[in-house]
Parts: sequence; structure tokens; C-alpha cells
Amino acid sequence: MRADLRPAAPLEAALKQRRVLVVCGAGGVGKTTTAAALALQAALLGRRVLVCTIDPSRRLATSLGLSELSQKPRLLPLERFGLRAAGEMWAMTLDTKGTFDSLVERFASSDEARRRILDNRFYKQVSAALAGTHEYMAMEKLFELSADKRFELVILDTPPTRHALDFLEAPDRMMSFLDASILRFILKPYFVAGRLTLKVATRTGAAMLGLVDRYLGLQFLQDLSEFFLSFEAMYDGFKERAARVFALLRDPASGFVLVATPARLTLDEAFYFYRRLEEKKMPFVGLVVNRLHPDPAEGATGAGRAPSPALAKALVEKLAAVLRDQRLVARAERKSLARLEVDVGRAPVLVPELEADVHDLRGLAEIAAAIFGRVPAAGLARRRARVS
Amino acid sequence: MLGSSRVILDRLFEKRLLVLSGKGGVGKSVTGAALALAASERGKRTLLVEVDAAREAARYLDAADSGSAITEVRSDLFTVNLRPQAVMDEYVGHVVKIEMLARRILENPIYKRFFAAAPGLKELMVLGKIMVLEEETHGWARKPRFDLVILDAPATGHGLSFLKVPMAAAEAVPVGPIGANARRILTLLRDPRRTALVVVAIPEEMAVVEAAWFHRLATQELRITCAASVLNAAYERRFTRDEEADVLRLCAEGATGRLTRDADLGAALDAARRQIRRRKLTQFYERRLRRDIDAPLVSLPYLVRDPIGPDALRLLVKRLEAA
Repeated sequence: MRADLRPAAPLEAALKQRRVLVVCGAGGVGKTTTAAALALQAALLGRRVLVCTIDPSRRLATSLGLSELSQKPRLLPLERFGLRAAGEMWAMTLDTKGTFDSLVERFASSDEARRRILDNRFYKQVSAALAGTHEYMAMEKLFELSADKRFELVILDTPPTRHALDFLEAPDRMMSFLDASILRFILKPYFVAGRLTLKVATRTGAAMLGLVDRYLGLQFLQDLSEFFLSFEAMYDGFKERAARVFALLRDPASGFVLVATPARLTLDEAFYFYRRLEEKKMPFVGLVVNRLHPDPAEGATGAGRAPSPALAKALVEKLAAVLRDQRLVARAERKSLARLEVDVGRAPVLVPELEADVHDLRGLAEIAAAIFGRVPAAGLARRRARVS
Repeated sequence: MLGSSRVILDRLFEKRLLVLSGKGGVGKSVTGAALALAASERGKRTLLVEVDAAREAARYLDAADSGSAITEVRSDLFTVNLRPQAVMDEYVGHVVKIEMLARRILENPIYKRFFAAAPGLKELMVLGKIMVLEEETHGWARKPRFDLVILDAPATGHGLSFLKVPMAAAEAVPVGPIGANARRILTLLRDPRRTALVVVAIPEEMAVVEAAWFHRLATQELRITCAASVLNAAYERRFTRDEEADVLRLCAEGATGRLTRDADLGAALDAARRQIRRRKLTQFYERRLRRDIDAPLVSLPYLVRDPIGPDALRLLVKRLEAA
């Protein structure tokens, strides 16, 4: 058999063989849509695949043509969209707070400890929607789902972080925070007496405690110390879990897919992320560049052709202007892409800008076809004619 | 439409704080830069605030990267990139008056780790700093240092938690200066005379869905007033109705030939057809935004040059100013 030289070949191999794919990229590059299209392709290739989004704004639901996704994996009715898949496609959304709660339930030493945490005012705020928690819980969920026998492949759409890297660093940060030793240092008196005594080991510690007290208030200190006290027993469980999540991400059966658009900023970010993956020895699978504009110059040029049918001068000028604009866009994009290809040393998978917006499974199939250049045999027989 | 753009800008520039929000990649930074430029050209001392960003605004304005200090990049136009850690350090220095002690705290690894992970602390610090900047005065007359502060808030998902933090903090820390500060920040955000939200989107399903979702949460849950929505990357009408019909007909006929000496008709028709399709999509999403967001809408054109420089920004300002 001849080697498959398509830029998408490694991606397709990953869809067939790997067990976990994490889709990363800057905001607004079509990450969610790409994750869903990859999942659909995997299902068409015969795998039982789950795509999971953490997005609170229901983006994935939108692109699946559903009004809402639940926290329980849902099997999508592919056949209703005229798609015949040998595998299965499941989708779900992640509830950050729910995941955190179930972690607490898992690791709490007793019913009482569990309740103490779940009712803690500080915990309620932390677990709801604040920075870092999303990312950490996404990883946690990924770990749990990767062990679920219903799915052969789990594709995780990562949260809309400003810097894609936050995602990789979130578990560390979260664990640092939960590391009771930090706050025990500051809050020792509370752990012991439950009321303020300024007997702290060092002067710096005393000053920090004074600060915390003056600026956060007694009630908060009490909530906080109670929180850390209750967490202390669970800390080791959490920590071990985080280490296993990290190991899972590094496993050769996992992989990272980077997503970008041809705009300079997002390509730069993708490259930066790529470098970080290399540094951290995380398995990189491929880079997908969405929304590439067509280059009008790729077609025939006007030289040597007959003049066009008589068109009004105004129209000719407008047509020429529109053509010029699109060339400008296309050239700028190709220049940025060429630079990136040199940097990464591998051709990205290019997805042309689709003429219609994607917000259903058929649209996703369209994208999958654009990514992989061909449709799995079972797939799309009736779809093609409707494209334009 | 509820009014002309001039009315919109007038209305926006009456405020003291504009918060830009929207999904990642919809052009919040460039919108912020254009608004800031427009305001400064009306003689308002304007501060454009980015949060832990790659200083995109500076590039759009063709200004040198000034680090995280407040910098006057043009007359009456200031930019700053707030780095949460730096803001927090400044705060500690401010609170702990003894310099040596402050330094000991700042150099303490525990302080660093706590700050890196403490949920919401960064957001609270940054918003607190913005509040301070908004309230700052100068001179004998105690005139406000800035007439207008424009905040390029981090992308939705995050952006919402960003604005939610003072609410969460006010609840989690019922007493003490942090709680009090959180409540002051909330008061500023919720004051419709001083603060307005500007929701930014592009003509794409998900960006528009997210804008509507964000608008609903911001206005209902956070109770921040939304003063405008901006649709970036809008494809404007370039052909008359008759010309459009001609283009589509010629496309259908598969017309070939030469358009000009160096342009092919087929390629131009194809480009025109795409432009028309995008223009229609733009209109579709404009209608959706008008329906879902109860505030005037401004559409700004798709910019063909990447990266965006001062010329393109100038064009956006013109559109913002135009009736």
C-alpha cells in the first residue's frame, strides 16, 4: 500500500487508534466545531466516540443542532441527518461544579466531612465558576470518561482560555492552592483554636495573617480555615488523582490536536502551544487551520482569454475590487501559514472557509470531509449535492 | 435600529467605564482600540485597559510596547496592560506600609503560590485597580484623571467569571475591606450612568449565540447595563440589487473571459459570489443581534489586511463616527 501523504493522515490514524484526544487552541478558532467534526469522523470510521465540552455557553450543542446538551453522555441520532456510521457518536457537556462535588464525595473521609465541605461558603464560590477550576475539572472528567467502557475514544474540547496554555497548567495551580500546607502556614492559629491568635511561626507569617485578617475579615478566615481543614484529609487523594490525569495526557494513546485560523495571532499562539507540548513531552497529533480563504489567483488568469461579456464599467470596477480584496486576504494567510509550516516542520491540515455556517451534524460532516479529504465509505452519499 | 452611530457614540462616551465583552476572536481588542481612538479624538482623556494581554492595542495604534505602565500613546489616549500579579503586589505594598515587610511578603514563595491559585483573587485585584483608575483625580480642581476607561475584558466564558467575581467575593467575604471593595466594584459596574457593557460579535452562529447568552447573563444576573452591540467583520453591501442579480446569473451561466487586463472574470465572479453570500449572512446575524440584544447595533467592516494597523483602525473609527 502506498503511504498516505495527506496532511490529515496522522489525524485520521489517531482517530482510529488513540483513546483520548484533547483539542486546544485560542478562543474563536472553531475548536468546538473541530472537536465535534473529529468525533463524527471517528464514528463514521467505526469507533464509539464521545465528545465532551466544558463550554458553559453551549457551543457544542449549537453545532450539533441540539438546543441543550446534558451532563450525561447522549447518543446522537446520526441517521436522522442521513449519516450512516459504523460506530457511535456521543456528546456531553461538563458541569464544573458537579464534577467538583463528586470528587469531594469520592475522597471525603466521612459523611460529615463531605457535608462540611459541600456546605462551606468558600467552597461554594470556588467550585462554581472561578478561574482554573474549569480546566482542572475538565481533566478530571476526562480521566473518568477514559475509563468508561462505553467509549473507545474520548475527545475533549478544552475551555475557552485566553491562553491555551492555562489548560495544561491548571492542575498544578489548583493543586498548589489546595495544598493545605500553604494556608496552614498562614492560618495555623485557626486550625488549632478556631479563633484569631497571632502566634505564628515567623514575623512574615504574622504580617500575612494580619493582612488576611484585616482585608478578608474573620468570617472569611473561618470559612477558609474550615475549608482547608476539611480538605486536608482529601488532599492526598486529589493529588494522586491529578498525577494520574497528567500521566494519562502523556500516554501514547492520548494526543493533542491544535486548532487555529490563518490569522497571524492565532497561528502564533498555536505555535507557542506546540512548543510547550514538546517541552512537556505531550503527544502532538496535528494542527488544524480553519477558515482558510480561497486564493482567487489559484484559478486561471485572464491572460490570453477573450474579453468578458460587456459589463457596465461600475460593475467591472466593483468586481475587480472584490477580487483584489480576496487576494489580499488569501496572500496574507498563505504567508503566515508558510512561516508556521517551517516552524512546526509539518504541514497543517487546512480547512477552507465554508460558505454556510455550521450548526448541525450535516455541516459537521462537511467539515470532516474537508479535513480528511475523503469521506468514509459509509458516510455521506446523499450529502454532496447540497453543498452550494 | 434604535439610532445612528453618532447617537451611539455620544451615548457610550457619556459613561466613565465601558466594558467590552464577547467570545474569543471576535475582535474585542480592535474594537476597544477604535473606541478609544474615537473618544480621544473627541478630546476625552481615555484609558484603554487590557488584561494580561499581548498588548494588541498598542500594535493597532502603532505605539511602542510600554510594558505595564500607563502610557500616553497619542494625545489624550492612554493604554495599560494590567498584569494581575503586579497589581496584587502593588496592593500589598500599599497596604503594608513598611517597605521591608512588604518586600518580605512579596518574596515569600507561599504568597506567590497562593496568589497564582486563589480563585478570583486576580480578577478582583484587576477590577479593583480599574475602579481606582476610574476614581483617580488630579490637580487642584480634582478633575478625574481619565474621562473614560475602556476595559477589554477577557473572552466570554472567562469574561463572565471575570465580572462575576465581585458578586462572588461580596458573598464569600461578607465583612472586611475585601468584601467592601467587592461591593464598591459591583456598585460601579451596576451604575448605568457610569458603566456600560458593549457586547462584541462576528457574523457567525456561535459568536452570536454567545453574545446573546452573555448579554442575558450580564444584564439579568449581574445587572450591568448594555449600551451597544458591535458586529465586527461585517461584509457590507458592495453591489446594487441589480448588480447582484447579474453576478449570480453570470455565475450560474459559468461565464468566462477577462475582466480587466490582469483579472479573470471567472475568478472575480467567484469572489463576488462569496462576498454576496457573506453579506447575506451578515444581515442575517444583524437581525439576530437586534432581536436578542436590547441595545443599538454597530456593524464594522471585515478588514482585509492582517495584521491590522493604524490605517484599518482609522477606517473603523470613521464607521463608528458615521451616522
